[in-house]
Amino acid sequence: MKAVGGFFQNIYKSKVMLFMVLPGALWFLFFSYLPMFGTVIAFKEYRFSRDGFWASIVNSKWVGWDNFKFLFSTNDAYVITRNTLLYNLAFIFIGLILSVVLAVILSEISNKRLAKTYQTGMFMPYFLSWVIVGYFTFSFLSSERGLLNQVLQSFGVDTIQWYNNPKFWPYILILVYLWKAVGYNSVVYLAAIMGIDRSLYEAAMIDGASKFQQIRNITIPLLKPIITIMTLLAIGKIFYADFGLFYQVPRDSGTLYSVTNVIDTYVYRGLKSTGEIGMSTAAGLYQSVVGFILVITSNYIVRKYDKDSALF
Amino acid sequence: MSKTKKSICLLLASLMAFSLLLSACGGGNKAENANSGKTQNTEPTKSSEKPVELIWYTIGAPQKDLSRVMEEVNKYTKEKINATVDMKMIDFGDYSQKMQVMVASGEPMDILFTCSWAFDYVQNARKGAFMELDDLLDKYGQGIKETLDPAFLKGSKVDGHNYAIPANKELPAQEVWRFNKELLDKYNLDMASATTLESLEPLLKTIKENEPDITPYAMVKDFMPLMPFDYVIEKMPMAVYLDTKDYKVVNILETPEIVDTLKTVRKYYQAGYLSPEVATTTSVDDLYKSGKWFMDRAATQPFADNLWSASYGYPVVSTAAGDPYVYNWSVMGSMQAISANSKYPEKAMEFLNLLNTDPVLRNMIDSGIEGVHYEKVSDNVVKNLPDSKNYDMPTFSLGNIMINYLNEGDPENKWEEFKKFNASGINSPLLGFNFDTSKITNEIAAVQNVKEEFWSSLMTGTVDPEEYLPKANEKFKAAGLDAIIAEAQRQIDEWRATVSE
Repeated sequence: MKAVGGFFQNIYKSKVMLFMVLPGALWFLFFSYLPMFGTVIAFKEYRFSRDGFWASIVNSKWVGWDNFKFLFSTNDAYVITRNTLLYNLAFIFIGLILSVVLAVILSEISNKRLAKTYQTGMFMPYFLSWVIVGYFTFSFLSSERGLLNQVLQSFGVDTIQWYNNPKFWPYILILVYLWKAVGYNSVVYLAAIMGIDRSLYEAAMIDGASKFQQIRNITIPLLKPIITIMTLLAIGKIFYADFGLFYQVPRDSGTLYSVTNVIDTYVYRGLKSTGEIGMSTAAGLYQSVVGFILVITSNYIVRKYDKDSALF
Repeated sequence: MSKTKKSICLLLASLMAFSLLLSACGGGNKAENANSGKTQNTEPTKSSEKPVELIWYTIGAPQKDLSRVMEEVNKYTKEKINATVDMKMIDFGDYSQKMQVMVASGEPMDILFTCSWAFDYVQNARKGAFMELDDLLDKYGQGIKETLDPAFLKGSKVDGHNYAIPANKELPAQEVWRFNKELLDKYNLDMASATTLESLEPLLKTIKENEPDITPYAMVKDFMPLMPFDYVIEKMPMAVYLDTKDYKVVNILETPEIVDTLKTVRKYYQAGYLSPEVATTTSVDDLYKSGKWFMDRAATQPFADNLWSASYGYPVVSTAAGDPYVYNWSVMGSMQAISANSKYPEKAMEFLNLLNTDPVLRNMIDSGIEGVHYEKVSDNVVKNLPDSKNYDMPTFSLGNIMINYLNEGDPENKWEEFKKFNASGINSPLLGFNFDTSKITNEIAAVQNVKEEFWSSLMTGTVDPEEYLPKANEKFKAAGLDAIIAEAQRQIDEWRATVSE
């Protein structure tokens, strides 16, 4: 009895806090938890019923794991899994290093107005849609009027058919992704650096520590928890590829598929004309289950070494 | 440490809230639309005196004056059949995807546009998206049965039943070579010499040599050379020959025709007759607008040259590139279906019947309000007024086009010529056969991916067919093309047995 009373007392005590959480909690309930029942479609052959969505789900026939087969049935399965994983790993690690380096540099710029200008400039690309970024890239790589080919021409070198040459694309995609994402991530780290107690640096300076030593021994160690958290969050999405990046930027060029086809584009291309909802649900379920397992595992590993940095 | 962690969490939370806010701004529009759709549908329209409101989804860019025209339309339909329509337009590029989601989630609707190239008719009929219309047609659709060329209703049956009302329009599909007439005249070229793909070379060569700024052949990535096949699924490599006797399904990648054709396209690509970007070019509208193109290929209809010339603003002429064939996809080029979840299927059919037989309604929906969007020049000839740009509908998608008023400049015998053209069509071998892919969905998804990888670059000559054709074939086979061909063959044989009975 006492425990129950305590529970309500607790709720009453923190009513303001709980009230603040309410909108977010509702959002998750409606847009993340309720739709979860829909995953059942992954195991059904979805057919329309005239009595609405629920009736359609109930009346559709169970097909077990059939909807998952198309993901693994060909040797494309290997290509798309490899591409998705390797690109995301590259994005996570190169992105991490660049964002931290940029954040540290920005925090060290003494002219604050200039620092803000740089920061805004790097932040902007994050808000551009991939379609627009795709056209930016096209203006560089177009074979007739592209900037790069014109430069090559003026040096008398043979021009390159960029959209037909897979070997350049791993670098182009990573570069374009970093250009778009690094600014945003560096703001996160910059904010964390701003939160570091200045007295630590003052003490270090009195002890005669150089700038580089300060960064290595104060900034980086204090950034470690947020770096871990950001990386763990990114690992949870490692099986989700950025559709816009891999579809719009290479202009859906078939000759580049060996290096640009990822799980999301594969699913889109395979199902856009048939519209089999069951199969696309299956693909989504597969991605989130793998992501879930990866987050749990990596969080478990982090926990073993440094309890405070772990997510939970 | 825990203090830092707390502040980090706070930071992340606020960042997330910020991005949520941003995405919420972007999505606001959508949510609003969805809401407005719902509120309209909860209106009680059950009692028999009250007019029934039919919800009609159709394809095309939403028009500014849509609600204004619909008000007039509703006055008319209320009087005629005691029903009103609420038309919702979805743009061409979004139609398939949005309709897939809306139909799957059971969004209320009564009439919806469907065809072979957007929100696929056959597949969705099989999935149960549409109501079977056989009885409704007999009861309420007699007018349709009388006016429509019987080939339409016959050719659009799925497993023996009608699920949609095709628009009465051109029945066969015929491809023509189109030319920018100014350039033809300038170099004194004769378009009659253009027959096959190979025969185009001297023409293209002249333009390439004399007009460096002009793209000789305006091609997009969807280009598909004309070959004598009737495809089981459009743009997939299984087909029967157009003159087939045994209805054997062949893998077109293994036919001599494709080897020769691709060699020619490759030659044109290397000679610079096509844009080097052709394999990723989705539209050449900029070339059409600027007139910086010499020729291309398009599907025709009677007096198509007039249409093209009017829309581009300079003369375009054409000559036949193939024979007029009636294919499944040309019969199913534009149809209106009744949704399986429609509350008023009878009224919907009455409305469709009226739309396809009543010139007043049909023209109102097509051209808008007399005196606002158009004015009459004579009894059945109209002239667009400046406001017609606020109500510019895709004519072909809205039912029987042959009861439309003529535009100024249209020949008097326009619809007669359409009927003649329809009569000239040769039935393709697979007309009436609809492939049921439900047993091979996994193979289709895999083959679709291989197709996307190789198709455009092969068909436009961007890659060397000698190297890539065998490569593509191998990958198609690995993805299960043979299983699809076998299934298609089985179904075609079954279908032929029932047809010949």
